[in-house]
Amino acid sequence: MKISPRRILYLYWRLFSQQLKAMMEYSADFYIMIGAAVMTQVTGFLFLWVIFSRIPDIQGWQFWEVAFMYAAIYVSEGVGSLFFEGTWRMLRLVNLGELDRYLVRPVPVVLQIFCTGIGMNGLGNIIIGGTIIIMSLSHIHIVWSLQTVGMAIILFVSAMIIRVAINLAANCSAFWIRNSGNAFPIMIHNLGEFAKYPITIFSLGLQLFISIVVPFAFVSFVPAAAMFGKESWSYLGWFSPLVAVYCCGVALLLLRIGLRRYESAGN
Amino acid sequence: MFRQAVKDPGLAGAVKHLFTQRYKDKYAVEGIDLTIEEGETVAYVGPNGAGKSTTIKMLSGVLVPSGGEIRVDGLIPYKQRMENAAQIGAVFGQRTQLWWDIPVRESLALLKDIYQVPAYTFKRNMDVFTEILEMESFLHLSARKLSLGQRMRADLAAALLHNPKIVYLDEPTIGLDIAVKQRIRDFIKEMNRTQGTTMLLTTHDLGDIEDLCERLVIIDHGRIIYDGKLQDVKDMFARERTIHMQLSSPVTDIYSSFLDLSDVHLEKDEASQLNPLSLSIRFDRFNCTASEIVKRVMNRTEVIDFRIDEPSIEHIIRRVYEGKMDSSVLSSASRGSA
Amino acid sequence: MGIKKYYSLALCSMQNTLAYRLSFILNFAANFIGLIAMYCLWQAVYDGRAQLSGFTWPQMQSYLLITFLVNSMLSYYSESGITNKIIDGSVMMDLLKPLHFQKARLAETLGSCVLEGILSCVLIGVLAVFTVGASLLQDGLTSFLFLISLLSSILVKFGIVYITALLCFWTMSGIGLIWARMAVTNLLSGALVPLAFFPPWLKSIAMLLPFQGIVNTPVTIGLGMTEMIQALQLIAIQWIWIIILWLLGKWMWSWAVRQITIHGG
Repeated sequence: MKISPRRILYLYWRLFSQQLKAMMEYSADFYIMIGAAVMTQVTGFLFLWVIFSRIPDIQGWQFWEVAFMYAAIYVSEGVGSLFFEGTWRMLRLVNLGELDRYLVRPVPVVLQIFCTGIGMNGLGNIIIGGTIIIMSLSHIHIVWSLQTVGMAIILFVSAMIIRVAINLAANCSAFWIRNSGNAFPIMIHNLGEFAKYPITIFSLGLQLFISIVVPFAFVSFVPAAAMFGKESWSYLGWFSPLVAVYCCGVALLLLRIGLRRYESAGN
Repeated sequence: MFRQAVKDPGLAGAVKHLFTQRYKDKYAVEGIDLTIEEGETVAYVGPNGAGKSTTIKMLSGVLVPSGGEIRVDGLIPYKQRMENAAQIGAVFGQRTQLWWDIPVRESLALLKDIYQVPAYTFKRNMDVFTEILEMESFLHLSARKLSLGQRMRADLAAALLHNPKIVYLDEPTIGLDIAVKQRIRDFIKEMNRTQGTTMLLTTHDLGDIEDLCERLVIIDHGRIIYDGKLQDVKDMFARERTIHMQLSSPVTDIYSSFLDLSDVHLEKDEASQLNPLSLSIRFDRFNCTASEIVKRVMNRTEVIDFRIDEPSIEHIIRRVYEGKMDSSVLSSASRGSA
Repeated sequence: MGIKKYYSLALCSMQNTLAYRLSFILNFAANFIGLIAMYCLWQAVYDGRAQLSGFTWPQMQSYLLITFLVNSMLSYYSESGITNKIIDGSVMMDLLKPLHFQKARLAETLGSCVLEGILSCVLIGVLAVFTVGASLLQDGLTSFLFLISLLSSILVKFGIVYITALLCFWTMSGIGLIWARMAVTNLLSGALVPLAFFPPWLKSIAMLLPFQGIVNTPVTIGLGMTEMIQALQLIAIQWIWIIILWLLGKWMWSWAVRQITIHGG
């Protein structure tokens, strides 16, 4: 069945806004989630600041450059939580057989999964992460031109897609690992820790791992390298859209295989 | 309008072969060959774990069969999931279609968009459903606040909102009180009558079957063990009748009056033993008639009152489940009415 | 005193942890990823530097290992267990049992802590072999004091975790509270970066709060950065906090129970 992008966007908006309305009913939770995300990020930022107050740079990367990477990871996490939180609910959807109702509706399953919930912590992440990114960009000398702006947009969009696709792929583990909670996707999520710093500080194996297998490097390190003109790395920026396509492909393939395995829950 | 629809290529569901289930190579459903015509209302019954839900989930595109063929109105549900989904409605008794935290009215409006129901149809259906299912009082509540009966009614409305051609109802009346059950049955009948909706329903409730379904499919251990008219299975397996009589005076050795008839037994239940004025006799209605029995008793004494019990369908199905029925009789029955 | 039933609870919780061992190990691996990232970061930071804020690179390595050990015990896994009890309403079932809620949760937490501790120690042992530079526990007395401060640190952490969990009675937000607590604890306990790296004002604030008893105390003692008297003082401070937090938790619980509202599913 052909389904137009316009209709997908419309349905996404309808499902999302309804969830948002429902969220508002738990207002304490709403603010605590935002607050928790803000606190986590501020402490992370303080951590960087404390380190850089003792040393001038890490392998040639200045404070604001690393802060930019740090914040990029947080913003992508925020986008994932705020707009695509449903990926994190797949365990529940699969284990309690709630996917059944998604499968009997004439709407792509992945769209319905995305809209299963909203993580308000994402808003906190986006606000603080965004602020840090803007501060970084104002502290770092970049010659803004049509080309750099275009590049920035491509890098940003690719980064967000890569992050969400990784979330989706990791959470597809729910189809295979039934009784371990969210432990596996959280482990994959934590791989993002590696992308908060210049990846040159890691061994070659790790570098390849987070650039190719679980390409978190394209969420933070590559955009940073490309934007700040770190020679010998910045060319990787051009691969970002390709990596995004690759991640989506893998995630959707895993979902498809998973759905074939899906057994629903008893009767 | 509906008659024309009947001439369209009917809904054909041929489910065959092996369907895997968890862990071992244990098949939830095996060798099921079933075809349902458009506009039919079919009861699909069997004990827990017989494979009813599995069948429905495969028909609705939720589960992918490990083998065999399924076609629903020409579509293969798990391959053409979206096309299939657009024309079916499903109620899975224990689970809700509705969004947990948003008002029922909004859930239904959301479903309108998901199924692309025209505004006019939506309004008309909402009016009709609200009235028949008496939903007015809880449309503004979120699903988490509904009672089971309310939720079930709202779920039925959700499943039928887009006038689906086919509706799967998995235990639609489970755990509900009589009044709500009746309302739900009335609604299902009404939709089948006015929309020509094809219905396949699983249930443990015999009232549902008797009230709604002409055709009965019984499965056990993943196989169909009966497929035919409800009336046929009653004729076939409900041959026995029990007649309970109130007598004006006690009679001794009443059994001697029936020696020439086969398959006539005195019921030795508690009531007839304690009270010499009450008498219960069980007989095969294909061997003799109720009036014959009563007449012979009346030759001995006056019968003040009597009533005839037919075995409940529950009883029959239970006997089928327990494998007490002669399987050759069953298979001939199912062939006869197929 | 009926200590036996709490002992059984602890055993039960240990078995439970074993039953969910895959989850447990994956969680552990997730934390381990953080350790590797931090290790590599600090390695790069120390590149060409003999020491920073009084920490040499070998000391920093030991610091990372000890922090990992402390953070692995009483992990997110046991912490969410308490909040979930409150949020899903199963706390009612606990009220029906002749158990002291706080003691029961402590028993359970300690039960799973044993396993978490064993697993981390094995892993740290392996790592210590590879990171030859790490200077862990130089003599018997240090080891003894370190062990005591480590056990006390679990009790301090429990006190904080328990009080945070009780806040769920009012907020009904489990995960958010846990995240917020983690952020604060990580910074102020010295888990992210040793307190010695803090600017003086931040360090003095941190030293006045209970959090430093979780990581900073065992780390300073374990690295042999303190005299014996100082070490005993630090442990005494831990115990003051343990008692204060316990009483605070007790008081909050009795207050929460009085105005309990059941939040079932």
